[in-house]
Amino acid sequence: MERRLQQYFFVLSVLSLLLIVGAAYQASTPAWKRYQKQYLSLEAQGEPNAITKAAVLATPPEVHQVMLTGLQRVDRCTTCHMGVEDPTMKNAPEPFRYHENLGPHIPSKFGCTICHGGQGLATDKDDAHGNVEFWQSPLLTKEYVRASCGRCHKDGEVPGVPELSEGKRLFENQGCRGCHKLNGVGGTIGPDLSLEGANHRAPEWLEKHFLTPNEVSSGSAMPNFHFTRDQAKALTYYMLSLTSEDMGSYYSTVRLIPGPEFGRQIFQEKNCINCHNVGGVGQKVGPDLLGVVGRHSPEWLDEQLINPELVYPGSSMPAYDLDGNSRKALMAYLAVVTPADVQALLSQKPHVLSPSDVAIEAGRQDFARFGCVGCHGTELQGGVPNPNAQGGEVPSLLHLSDDYTKDEVLAVIRNGRVPPLDNPNGPPPPLYMPAWKKVLSDEDINRVADFLWSKQQKKADGW
Amino acid sequence: MNIFREIYQSIVRRDPLSTDKGKTELVFLNVWLHIHPAKVKKEHMKFRHTFYLGFISFFLLLILITTGIALMVYYRPYPAAAYQDMKDLQFVIFMGPFLRGMHRWAAHGMVACVFLHMCRVFYTGSYKKPRQFNWVIGVVLLLLTLGMSFTGYLLPWDQLAYWAITVGTNIGSYAPVVGGMLKEVLLGGHSVGEGALIRFYVLHVAVLPLLVVLFTVVHFWRVRKDGGLSRPVWKLKAPKTAPLVQIGGTAEVAPLAVQAASTEKTYGLMEVVTGKPIFETVTPEEDDDAVFSYPYAFVREGITLMATVTTIMSMAIFLRAPLEELANPAKTPNPAKAPWYFLGLQELVSHSALLGGVVAPALMVIALLVVPYIDRNPSRRPRDRKWAIWLFTAFVVVNLVLIVIGTFFRGPGWALVPPWVHVTGGAE
Repeated sequence: MERRLQQYFFVLSVLSLLLIVGAAYQASTPAWKRYQKQYLSLEAQGEPNAITKAAVLATPPEVHQVMLTGLQRVDRCTTCHMGVEDPTMKNAPEPFRYHENLGPHIPSKFGCTICHGGQGLATDKDDAHGNVEFWQSPLLTKEYVRASCGRCHKDGEVPGVPELSEGKRLFENQGCRGCHKLNGVGGTIGPDLSLEGANHRAPEWLEKHFLTPNEVSSGSAMPNFHFTRDQAKALTYYMLSLTSEDMGSYYSTVRLIPGPEFGRQIFQEKNCINCHNVGGVGQKVGPDLLGVVGRHSPEWLDEQLINPELVYPGSSMPAYDLDGNSRKALMAYLAVVTPADVQALLSQKPHVLSPSDVAIEAGRQDFARFGCVGCHGTELQGGVPNPNAQGGEVPSLLHLSDDYTKDEVLAVIRNGRVPPLDNPNGPPPPLYMPAWKKVLSDEDINRVADFLWSKQQKKADGW
Repeated sequence: MNIFREIYQSIVRRDPLSTDKGKTELVFLNVWLHIHPAKVKKEHMKFRHTFYLGFISFFLLLILITTGIALMVYYRPYPAAAYQDMKDLQFVIFMGPFLRGMHRWAAHGMVACVFLHMCRVFYTGSYKKPRQFNWVIGVVLLLLTLGMSFTGYLLPWDQLAYWAITVGTNIGSYAPVVGGMLKEVLLGGHSVGEGALIRFYVLHVAVLPLLVVLFTVVHFWRVRKDGGLSRPVWKLKAPKTAPLVQIGGTAEVAPLAVQAASTEKTYGLMEVVTGKPIFETVTPEEDDDAVFSYPYAFVREGITLMATVTTIMSMAIFLRAPLEELANPAKTPNPAKAPWYFLGLQELVSHSALLGGVVAPALMVIALLVVPYIDRNPSRRPRDRKWAIWLFTAFVVVNLVLIVIGTFFRGPGWALVPPWVHVTGGAE
């Protein structure tokens, strides 16, 4: 017995030693070391002689990380993805392949996860790609990764990502704000979407939700807007971009992309056409700007815009105080400018409207902007299904004046209203009229009512 | 060579271990070992009497202190860094997951073992005279163990930690008068935040470990002074017939008396003080089954230590310590659950905050503390203590059932959901 016990003690001691050695072995042979070895041998293939080859192969393994305090993250992706910034790795197999079309978004300044998602701190594949429990932003698939552009580039168009601006346009035009709040403005029926992109919903879920809301969240009050697949995708992109990135100053100053749209705005604001002409359209004081981008180098144009006197001493062109982005945008516009477009700019005179028409037009815009059209329709026709409300759908607003006074309508807009029930014992209808008095000013509410009344009158006139 | 022999002998001053004197000196010339007696009775070492649960708990404490100090090197106790440090432990620190795994499993193991140790002490009646107060110290150690585990729970600063501590401290705040203040003092605010993290950290790495070590020292000292490790005294065999002892006299002169030798064995401080010793004295007993602590007791302790260490190491290697999402005060998981050992309490609280959160736990602790003073039955034989055993078993079973219900049968909104039914998170 006693001898046996001493043997047990010995065996257990050896076992615990083996476990420590095993744990140490496990800890010292992570997958990323294997990847680094593979990468180094790939790199060594390109070396001209044996000495440099050996030097490459002798590089000690280490975790590579990008500390991005400005983006609140640490990305260790380049520990395995070692070739992302090396053009010679263009045809290398993953995970070593060169990342094309990065533009200014170099990993050392931006990391990877800001666009791709995933878990930057992790150093093994499953964890890093975020396909694990308790990590809510797995890698975005190729199909959706461009949505991330909108997380920083919130204003203006993003070149190559039309889905973002299309999604934004749909959101504003289809009346989404009627139910959903975005950045403080909107209804209360649906969830606030200001940070929807930070909720880490799967893009596939979002897209399906836009196509058939009830299929992915049963009992959802959201009507089926019969979006096309492309529209659903655009909205998904827009939703994914709704985050509040807490960015350092470096990132927040460079995030406006200088596109031609912005340039056109500057062209109009600075009244360039008062001196210049484009293909003969405009004034002849300054030179014709058609094809000016082809005639001069970008550097020359840039200097000309900063201080014309430096290029042509005695130039009559004033030095406009334009920042770098604005100058780039202006040049981008000048590259695509056409005489017809300038003609359009010139003909844009303020539309002459009577004061009452102006108020009604403003009301119509409010009606669209604050999302009333989401339920009541662009033509006030209503008709969105609303189970167990009287009539089973959102009422048309074309016959208001038959049953209500204008003051009553104003009160309903201000205070909201739950529609009368079809079956008093049934569940409350999912859609109701939110109270708008906290969101809209009295002026806005009056305008909307004026707009509604204008529609009633026109109908009475047999319009 | 003489100098080496001299160095060795200056360090190890006992006789060789092959001699009885050497075996004795190994124990009482060594500051770490002299808590042991030089000789122990075989029944003290009977595994099926104590299951060595006290030793296991102590060894788990040693593992926790060792791994805990190592973890302190990598941990910064403020919200912006704590969670990232956990991720670093997992992904870039050499043997980080192993270290954290050992600490975690040893912590849960210690809660379980200390509780089981208490059960064992009750069932063997080992809290009876003269060991009453050591039971009380044991209950304090159980509470300190729970406190250690609870304060450590917050430190990873993930959703699990954040909401378990939020729920746990809310349970505490139901206490009348002092409850709210208690919660505020503990959290350094009204809710779990930076203040709570640093307070829990200080409690976890300084205050509570110090108290645990101090109380453990007293606990061990008293075990030794109260007659050594527990043993099934009611199973001891009847003594052999006592030998006759002759007092006085020689071959020529008739002896003064011939009588049976005393079977009562006592220890005491001879000729210094008078009075009866406080130690446990047992009559009758065999006196020829005592063996030297070396190697008999030490090898058993060594096996227990190595078995504990290997078990915890294997768990650390094969079971990953979980880490959920970063703590998010704006996103309450449904249901938010306290650490598993408090889920019985949370279950009670779900029925009545005052009864479950205050009255029941207070009564439980008080009942445990006074057990040795209300149980007047002197016998330790299980057959003579049916009532006590039934009552304690009921206490244990009720606690376990509540914990099992709270852990496995409670879903969103604390609704009764069996574990085999999958419930997706709340509606949109």
